[in-house]
Amino acid sequence: MRATRRLTVTAIAAASALSLSACLASPEQGAGEAGGPDDPIVIGVSLPLTGDFAEPGKGVQRGYEAWAKHVNEAGGLLDRQVELVIVDDQSNADRVASDYERLINQDGVDLVFGPFSTRLVVPAAQVAQDYGFLFVEPAGAAAEVFEQGFDNLFYAAPAIADDHYDHLAEYVLALPEDERPKTAAVASMDDPFAQGTAYGLRDKLADAGIEVVVDEVYPPNTTDFSGIAAKIADSEADLLIVGSQYQDGVNLVVALQQQDYQPQMAAISGAPTNAEFPEAIGDKTEGILAPTGYTPTAPYPSNQEFVEAYTAEHDAPPAEDEANAWTTGQVVAAAVEAVGCADPSPECQEQLVGWLKENEVETVVGTLSWDAQGRPQSAHLIQQYVDGEIKIVLPDDVKEADLVHPKPTW
Amino acid sequence: MTGALFAQSLVLGILLGGLYALLAAGLTLYFGVMRVVMIAHSAFLILAAYLAWYFHERTGIDPLLSLVVTVPLFFVVGYGMQRFLVSRLRPISLTTMSVLLTFAVALTIEGLLGFVWTGTQRRVQLGYSGMSIEVAGVSIAVVKLIAFGLAAVSLGALYLILRRTSFGRALRATTQHPEAARLVGIDTDRVAGLGFGLGLATAAVGGTALALDYTIYPSLHWHWIGPLMAIIVVGGLGSIPGAAIAALLLGVAASLLQVPLGTTWAQTVFYLALFVTLMIRPQGFFGGRLAQRF
Repeated sequence: MRATRRLTVTAIAAASALSLSACLASPEQGAGEAGGPDDPIVIGVSLPLTGDFAEPGKGVQRGYEAWAKHVNEAGGLLDRQVELVIVDDQSNADRVASDYERLINQDGVDLVFGPFSTRLVVPAAQVAQDYGFLFVEPAGAAAEVFEQGFDNLFYAAPAIADDHYDHLAEYVLALPEDERPKTAAVASMDDPFAQGTAYGLRDKLADAGIEVVVDEVYPPNTTDFSGIAAKIADSEADLLIVGSQYQDGVNLVVALQQQDYQPQMAAISGAPTNAEFPEAIGDKTEGILAPTGYTPTAPYPSNQEFVEAYTAEHDAPPAEDEANAWTTGQVVAAAVEAVGCADPSPECQEQLVGWLKENEVETVVGTLSWDAQGRPQSAHLIQQYVDGEIKIVLPDDVKEADLVHPKPTW
Repeated sequence: MTGALFAQSLVLGILLGGLYALLAAGLTLYFGVMRVVMIAHSAFLILAAYLAWYFHERTGIDPLLSLVVTVPLFFVVGYGMQRFLVSRLRPISLTTMSVLLTFAVALTIEGLLGFVWTGTQRRVQLGYSGMSIEVAGVSIAVVKLIAFGLAAVSLGALYLILRRTSFGRALRATTQHPEAARLVGIDTDRVAGLGFGLGLATAAVGGTALALDYTIYPSLHWHWIGPLMAIIVVGGLGSIPGAAIAALLLGVAASLLQVPLGTTWAQTVFYLALFVTLMIRPQGFFGGRLAQRF
């Protein structure tokens, strides 16, 4: 047993030494052939196509593939075709690191795109950082992603979880004194993402003097929400803030309706943007607010192009995972076009990273720019159910309807 | 805690306790009649809830009507399960082996539910889901009231069957002393089978009540079996009135404790009650002679 392990270690060491020398040798050899107009730009990606994150992983894959096809039909990047190499990491954090190692070292890809979700993004970004590669990622909004000291990472979405509600917080604080909610009730699933969103809004409003009268956390598998609803109803808070995934949001809303709690404003993350939400709640959705990272109706110039291209191929409009993948493509493409290179050399990758740190990029989710750790500096769109349909109400420049406040009774 | 919140939580606790009472009654019945620890009771509960949901999804008819099918079905399944599975266990190790057997049954049901309807959470959409009636400042959800009513009626019926019919007498005789019951001519095997069927029929009623107001998913039964097991020990194993009283008391306690402690910690009241019972009165607080023997 022990002998076998030692043998394996030796084998790995030998293999990495070989690949390292291959890597060191490659720039000179590669320089001649790379950059030629017939030579495609190869982009390496590892995605969770099986395992826990298979569903969103496949969404990201559809987004990347749609983007590559669209770019190639328009003549490619720097007049070179784009070729994706996508491997499956089985939702496994150890595997994702070795995947990127292999893509960069052995396959000699020109660029890399990020995988799906925090758990895989962090190890993958570490590999990219070690090789000095630009790392733009479509999913990985948790705070820890930006606390690892990466200086090559950029999150291709409008905002990290804490900032999703920024537009709504601004709106509430700008309300005249007599219309502004005075008390808030908060309930969130015990989940970093759900809590991040809800607490982002809670803390901003609490700092401005709005009193938090109920602050509940429930475990992910809670099915009975009547107790939490009783507390919230009893507090008669003006503003309701819920951090939910899907079903818990539906259950809590039904439990609150059973106890006839009528807030002036209800901000619920997670559930309401789901297409099944109105079906589940019936005709009682009116006035519910929710942040969203992406909607096919957003009027950003490149978004219509994206929605058309995507819908033509898949017979369905894109969802958030597809949109964030496409955004990743747009961000990398903008840097490549601006800098004029797309090869694995440290000089080129450094220039790409440097350019993104200094510039803004127009994408399907709006104009993006980043701080030094790669946190996007925008906020999510705020949607509201108005006349039975979910519509963008904030920010003002892209709104489809006016925000209704106070909300109608449910 | 304000008076209104106290009253609201109290009412919610009683409504929840009613459902617990019905389910715990079934569980304690198996133990009383057959010394069987029925881990799969709550899995059948979730199965009944799924059948109610599927029935509503398919036909659009009120899920309550699915009772007409599920109650007899579960009775027959329960009878069959006792006669063909449980009765094959050796009497000497019946109680421990029944844990393994019914654990396997629970896992099988959970797996099949996931296979047929996936792991997605399901909820029956009813026109009256959000409706409530207000009594003295306390909102009582219509769906919860129906669930409570169902539980109360079924418990009442169970009580009458056990007290007033000859089958009930035979069942109680089997519970109290199987050999003596056989000596006076009671077919204890058959009675045990029917008792098992009766227990499973309560799961059908409970599951339908559950489907009215809860989200269901295949592994939900693990959330129910723990509190239910605790309830029947606190109430005294085999004692149906004991189970019902313990269920109501603990349901109310959990509901009231949720206000100061929050959702996560309020659930521990069931297990705390279990520990306290085992330490100071292991036979349970309401159990009769039978409970004292175990």
